[in-house]
Amino acid sequence: MDVLFFFEWLDTSLLAQISKAYGGVFAVVQMFHLLSLAMLGGMVLVGDLRLLNILMTSVSSEEVIDNTQKWFTVALTVMIISGIFMSSAVAMKLYYNEMFWAKMASLGFGIAFVYLIRRPLLKYDHDTINPWTLRLLALASITIWFTVAASGRWIGFS
Amino acid sequence: MLNEWLLAFARWLDTFSWSTQLHESYYMYAWIESTHVLTLMVFLGMLCVIDLRMLGLIFPKVPASVIAEKLDKPMMIGFAVMIITGFILYFAIPVRSTQSIWFRIKVVLLIAAGINALLFRNRMRASTDTWDLDRVPPKRIRVGAGLSLALWSGVVVTGRTIAYDWYDCHKELPYFMYWVAGCVDEMASYQ
Repeated sequence: MDVLFFFEWLDTSLLAQISKAYGGVFAVVQMFHLLSLAMLGGMVLVGDLRLLNILMTSVSSEEVIDNTQKWFTVALTVMIISGIFMSSAVAMKLYYNEMFWAKMASLGFGIAFVYLIRRPLLKYDHDTINPWTLRLLALASITIWFTVAASGRWIGFS
Repeated sequence: MLNEWLLAFARWLDTFSWSTQLHESYYMYAWIESTHVLTLMVFLGMLCVIDLRMLGLIFPKVPASVIAEKLDKPMMIGFAVMIITGFILYFAIPVRSTQSIWFRIKVVLLIAAGINALLFRNRMRASTDTWDLDRVPPKRIRVGAGLSLALWSGVVVTGRTIAYDWYDCHKELPYFMYWVAGCVDEMASYQ
């Protein structure tokens, strides 16, 4: 399905008018985007390094996962909202940017991974889950989210 | 006088062939900048968790000292990589960075955030026995954590805006802005 129509609409939307005309507003939104990226990274790392038995080993992994999951969702929501606003400033350019689509693919994969695999699995008592499953889950999660961040940064270079 | 010294230092760095090569190297520069941004996730991510705990918003059942102690090491590793890559990025574009208002504000905010972190850490260590298990720490600790998040937000936004040329020296700006940005040549031609 070609989504060109969506980018054409976004390029002429009110969001685009604001993001193109007011550099200060764009910078503030970008700050929220980067801060939510940092927060998301922190939650992913703390949770996954705990699953790998590297960090906060004196706290139960259930407790760590429970706490980090809430703030992960907050960070992801802010990242998506601010990301749509930022995209509106260069909507057509992004549509033809391969790295942008790499980021969207990894982001989509990351969201599916978290809400369809990681969370449902970690609802069970962690002692009943094979330790290697937990380790693989943690490594996959770190890899996916760092790929999302890295591909996002490379949009600017490509 | 300080502006002249800083510019002279930047121009001296600019004479190194490595500086130019790094700036003109597409992949090397991009990789270093990507590493700089990715370690933001490590350093600022850990700091976020610590500050949110100090604000009473996360891990309410875990002692605050445990969070601060356990996350300190990865946070400092992230900080070290960020500082090293930051210096390399400055070395690649020394003159423009020195004359960037945003870079200058970023450095001031970094110093302020560093001082706040030191004071915050000392204050926390001195009083942690009395509130370590409290779900919400005392007001002075929450203020320190809030200030920490605000200062680092400033560092992030000014770091990002360095890329924009809104107040670069080649633009027509008021004398005060030239002075703040350290546009030594433009200040001389103004007079």
